[in-house]
Amino acid sequence: MMSSAEIWLTIAGLTVLTIVTRNAFLVLGHKVALPERVQHALRYAPACALIALIVPEVVLQSGTLALGLSNPKLVATVVAVATLLLTRRAVAAIALGMLAYTLIRIL
Amino acid sequence: MARAAHRGDRMIASALFGTDSARARQRRAAFASGARAATPALMPTAIWGLVAGVAMIKTGLTTWQALAMTLLVYSGSAQMASLPLIAAGAPVWIALLTAGVVNLRFIVFSATLWPYFGRVPLGKRLLLGYLSADIGVAVFIARYASAPAEQRGDLEQRWFFFGIVAATWLSWQPMSIAGILLAGAIPGHWGLEFAAILALIAITVPMFAGRPAIAGCITAGVVAVIAAALPLKLGLLLAVIAGVAVAMGADMLTEHAPGDRAP
Repeated sequence: MMSSAEIWLTIAGLTVLTIVTRNAFLVLGHKVALPERVQHALRYAPACALIALIVPEVVLQSGTLALGLSNPKLVATVVAVATLLLTRRAVAAIALGMLAYTLIRIL
Repeated sequence: MARAAHRGDRMIASALFGTDSARARQRRAAFASGARAATPALMPTAIWGLVAGVAMIKTGLTTWQALAMTLLVYSGSAQMASLPLIAAGAPVWIALLTAGVVNLRFIVFSATLWPYFGRVPLGKRLLLGYLSADIGVAVFIARYASAPAEQRGDLEQRWFFFGIVAATWLSWQPMSIAGILLAGAIPGHWGLEFAAILALIAITVPMFAGRPAIAGCITAGVVAVIAAALPLKLGLLLAVIAGVAVAMGADMLTEHAPGDRAP
């Protein structure tokens, strides 16, 4: 465990990181000319970033690929995505996903 | 009482939207429309905030440290990335480097927003940038990516974006604080962390519109898994770059194909 001072230093550093990364181009963009095609492509960045955060959490079990029914997170994800596509209700998807996740882990 | 409350509302409204009534109406309408557009993502954001709040306390942060982290850092993924390193007593610079790599996607997002808000006065630009988490950018781009270039960053777009980020902040922070305060009452074996992943999924699935986006997302997912073992969460960055590159390629291919909607 980090010491209290180290934790506060980490919090301060993370705050600076949030400010700097979220404002990088907004402040310095005038100095960098992004081609129109790149600007156009960047619209896909948020979805790609979120997918890249999610997929490893779902399909990896302590570092190894688990694509079978024995992976409760994978099954729960399928349930949640199906619920989302059928009902378009985020809360229902999260609730049923958690239900599936819990049931599989208990059984 | 009711009249005083009403006057209070009006004071807040005029402080927020200005007193010039025509422009104030325009601002308010755009702000409300942004908040409405963000609605489907708000409940998942609130759940993800709750989970982050609980996770900070379970890691061993004090209540004050956790409150400072959620209120100042305001970045769920960077917070979650730093927690295991804090628990393990890793050097501070390793924790910052790891969270920094996770946050690099925000540089990409800020480039996405620059054509729209690059000319907003610096103070307001910094505020919009600071508040512009994943959802803000995603919801805004979904609405205005195809808007004419000369409208970029106009009053409507600025206030629409402010509406999204204000609603996001308001759904994240109170729930994160609730998580911090209630963490002791929530048993670890509930697997609440996974609810955060489901919340992210609920935010992401509606973004799967069009072949380029789907091709990019599949690429990003595969690269993220292959590169998951890389140190400092560099796999995330690789995945975003690969995903955007493939989406761009797919965009160029479908752009001129007959029967496809023009981008």
